[in-house]
Amino acid sequence: MDMDEALRTRGEMGADLVPIAGGTDIVVVLNRTTTGPKHFLDLTHVTGYADLRRDNGTWRLGGGATFSQLGRLPVRALADAAMTVGGPAIRNRATIAGNLGTASPAGDGCVALLAVDAEVELTHASRGRRVIPIEQYFTGFRQSALLSDELITAVRLPADWRTAWYKIGKRGSINISLVCCAIGVSPAGGVRIAFGCVAPTVVRAKRAEAIIEKDDWSDAAIEAAAQAAMQDVSPIDDHRASASYRRAMCGVLARRLLRQLREESSQDPTGSHAR
Amino acid sequence: MSRPDSPTPWRLQCTVNGQAADVNVESDETLLTTLRDRLGLTGTKGSCLEGECGSCTVIVDGQAVNSCLVLSAQMQGCRVETIEGLADGDKLHILQEKFLASGAAQCGYCTPGLIMAAKVLLEQNPNPTEQEFFEGMEGNICRCTGYKSICQAIRAAAEEWQ
Repeated sequence: MDMDEALRTRGEMGADLVPIAGGTDIVVVLNRTTTGPKHFLDLTHVTGYADLRRDNGTWRLGGGATFSQLGRLPVRALADAAMTVGGPAIRNRATIAGNLGTASPAGDGCVALLAVDAEVELTHASRGRRVIPIEQYFTGFRQSALLSDELITAVRLPADWRTAWYKIGKRGSINISLVCCAIGVSPAGGVRIAFGCVAPTVVRAKRAEAIIEKDDWSDAAIEAAAQAAMQDVSPIDDHRASASYRRAMCGVLARRLLRQLREESSQDPTGSHAR
Repeated sequence: MSRPDSPTPWRLQCTVNGQAADVNVESDETLLTTLRDRLGLTGTKGSCLEGECGSCTVIVDGQAVNSCLVLSAQMQGCRVETIEGLADGDKLHILQEKFLASGAAQCGYCTPGLIMAAKVLLEQNPNPTEQEFFEGMEGNICRCTGYKSICQAIRAAAEEWQ
């Protein structure tokens, strides 16, 4: 099947067919309940859907790119995030479009994309393609801008940002985030600080970002940003961690990753983002 | 199309352990169910059914896959390998031999998944570093052995890997 055919089928059938690629989110639901979806649009055999392409300064990741593929990308936050997801059997199947489609606040790939101002390509068979800034893509808890007759065809992200990633989980493998953080720094000095599991969607800590962008990367600015990050998030208590622990960890992770990026920058003033 | 609340029958044609398989499945059926309940290949075990434990690991087109998390209808034209395909008659696969020799199984429930994950690891990289070994095996959990004998078995198989 090619993408045009997949888009036509999606356009005609809409929500009657659930798009499926790796299945690592959807089939978990099927295994737990008898009321899950019964009919699917399989995207795993769509030609070219998993292609990764670099055009000048931009990566275009086909929606079907798996976490195993992302783990080899020279975009550190995304690659590191990808490698902290599941084990190899999960990473071989789970895709970036699936991570975006589920739109969970614990979507590790989504956090990494939020930290580099990625753009999501949503495509309809006849209306064509619209490109949504990642920040506008997530509209609520497990809700997104994706319409029921569109497919997530690709994600675009800049190749020249410096990035860092850290995930706190309960163990080293098959690990679901308790809190995770990605930070991106653009060549012009823009800063994006993104968190997972501390709000209904993946979120940016904008006051923290503004402090670093406005002041500098001094110890005092980083400390102020870490404090601000804790106020920028709205975590809840759940079975994995308490709200107060999550809030505290947002400060810790912001401080740790900002310092790491500052040190790497001083060691490599050309701003190479290479892993 | 049938009613939206009932699955659609689907004719799956793929290869299982080198043999052509042609089997009717339902549109919401997992590969784990098809292997065990339709093809009688009960060596593959289901446990957590959410991708946490790895006991259902099989190999699809050379890659480790959780058979509880893929739909059989997605396997059209694919090459599926399960634990039943490893031994050649009475001659065990090197991984099976080494698991036996190392005492790497106690209850044995996780063993088929561990062996399939190890097979992919060694096929892709017969001489893995510690980190590569860890990344290759991190999706499989054993609750009995403490892993030492399992790692020993896989390392021993790696030494004789053809």
